[in-house]
Amino acid sequence: MKVKVGVDLGSAAIKVVLTDGAAILWRGQTPTAPGQEILAKKVLKKGLSELGLTESAVTKVVATGYGKGLCGLAEERVDEITANATGLYRLSQGQGRLIVNIGGQDLKIIHLDERGRVADFKMNDKCAAGTGRFFELAARLLDVPLADFGALSEKASSVVTLNSTCVVFAESEMVSLMATGVTAGDIASALQTSVARRVASLVGSANLGAGVWLDGGPALNKGLVKALADELLAEVFVLPEPQYTVAFGAAITV
Amino acid sequence: MTEPLDRLSRLLLKAKAKALAEENETLAWFRRRPDYRPEFEYFLNIVGQGDLAAIADRAGRPVIALLCNQSPLELIVAAGFQPVKIASGSLAETSFSGFGWPALTCPVVKGLLTRLAFKSSSRSVPIVAPATCDWVAKFGEMARFALPAPPSVAYLDLPRFKQDPFSQKKWLSEVYKLKNYLEDLRGGPITRANLLAAIADLNAAYAAFLSLKAARLKGQLSLSWFLLIVGSFFGDTPRRWAENARRLTFKSNGSNSLAKVFLAGSPIFFPNFKLPALMEEAGLTTVADDLCSSERIFPPGQVLEDSSLPGLLASLAGRYHQGCLCPTFGDNDRRINNILGQKNEAGFTGVVFTVLKGCHPYDLESSLLEPALKERNLRFLRLETDYAAEDRQNLLTRLEAFGQSLKGEPGF
Repeated sequence: MKVKVGVDLGSAAIKVVLTDGAAILWRGQTPTAPGQEILAKKVLKKGLSELGLTESAVTKVVATGYGKGLCGLAEERVDEITANATGLYRLSQGQGRLIVNIGGQDLKIIHLDERGRVADFKMNDKCAAGTGRFFELAARLLDVPLADFGALSEKASSVVTLNSTCVVFAESEMVSLMATGVTAGDIASALQTSVARRVASLVGSANLGAGVWLDGGPALNKGLVKALADELLAEVFVLPEPQYTVAFGAAITV
Repeated sequence: MTEPLDRLSRLLLKAKAKALAEENETLAWFRRRPDYRPEFEYFLNIVGQGDLAAIADRAGRPVIALLCNQSPLELIVAAGFQPVKIASGSLAETSFSGFGWPALTCPVVKGLLTRLAFKSSSRSVPIVAPATCDWVAKFGEMARFALPAPPSVAYLDLPRFKQDPFSQKKWLSEVYKLKNYLEDLRGGPITRANLLAAIADLNAAYAAFLSLKAARLKGQLSLSWFLLIVGSFFGDTPRRWAENARRLTFKSNGSNSLAKVFLAGSPIFFPNFKLPALMEEAGLTTVADDLCSSERIFPPGQVLEDSSLPGLLASLAGRYHQGCLCPTFGDNDRRINNILGQKNEAGFTGVVFTVLKGCHPYDLESSLLEPALKERNLRFLRLETDYAAEDRQNLLTRLEAFGQSLKGEPGF
């Protein structure tokens, strides 16, 4: 069996996907740290081993993400917006028209045309407001794993509003709320609403008739999915493993 | 008592050293480029406009510093002065003036205040400023507030509605005001012969500029070199700059880019070439632009129907007012037509629109242009940035994706 490899070197995690061009055969990730190429190689090696393959089975390695220039094992590179569009369109069976990708340090809104091509896109500027970094910070402050955020917010008993999605200001605001006895569930809920509002301001008045496809690691947070649906008044779809869409897209784009 | 002042002086010296380092870094970057050619040295040597005394020595005439493009250059040259458009593209200069002004102050103006603070002799170089945007209109007041030796700023009251006959009449009277001001400085009248000679000099520069524009259109001159060469225009006399620009020869490089773009929006000033560098890195070929730091330095060619002195002045006034595409004007449909008019010849399929943080007129302009250009099947990318390097990767991602979308469909 021959496989194509997509490596998404993001600011929070390095994701590796092995594919036959049609479906994801294997996927794995590791937190981003110095020595990104070595880390990516380790994940790839693990994937090949678990599939019972050797390096000779790899026909092509394509890198994407902020660290794509640091990945010497890749023969090709593609920007993450194109990779995201390609990956999601294929994995959604051609249904996706609007993607909201929440990455470690950025937020992307990607419009697709009926053939899955990038029709338009928006991206936050260098400010990390409303991105994965925001959730990471909150998880650390609340001492709750990111994966438990959704369940935690379901326990919210009152409506609390965060006045800022700025990572710096929100941190001090969350500390103040905790000091006044506001529960972690209320804060988690407020956080999700706050991010959803930030996303909504970027989506603007776009046509959401075909729904919104949320991907990136934070898409695993069910509370965020619900908050986004409430804010956008639209159906929000999430793929089973939304953090691998971009790596898969990279593998099949070039 | 003197300690805070000493500290401020030290900070200012530090900012000056950093600004110089930025300039040297950009010049070194140009010299390292694979498309560097020795004949570009002239332009690399005259591009910095931080040292106005050096420009005056080079040009052999005193300098008049200009904010914005609407002051007729011919009039200034005819009066025996060297026009130098002053603007800051330096992060160090902008950062030094960071405190004391609103966070979203125009970085060009903020940086310029720092640069003027570098030199105690700044008072000796008069500044002429057509009141375009709010930042420029307030510049004189800001300078008086911030600088121990503020420069003299002569304002021209620029009417915001170009097509209104009363505005045109008003602007003509402002051009006469400029003429009187220059004559007072010079100590003698601007004659018809002086003005015709200056018009000939500027026409020669315009012809040389058109040859640079043609080379860029054919993909023979990159965006960065184009911006540098055109931006160096104020570093020497128009005639000498034109002679050197005309000497440049261009050859076809055989490539045919699929991602051709038009560059619009806020100006790009030396030494900050972050955006042009990223656009090139992303594989975009810029074939035309409407930046006031680039193509719009040179207003459209002049037809002289009446060559009397009043006729020449009226013609200049119209050219620099009605011909101007600055977003501060209230009736500015020509800016869209200027882009669309070049679409077929230049073959671009996308527009990259850059907004400098704090540059409100261009920020608003982008919202007005985007739907109008998209309706005509042009893709549009708006990038808001400043002089800092932190958003390089973010910008590159967007530019790469934009280039990909111009090339057509992803490979599946």
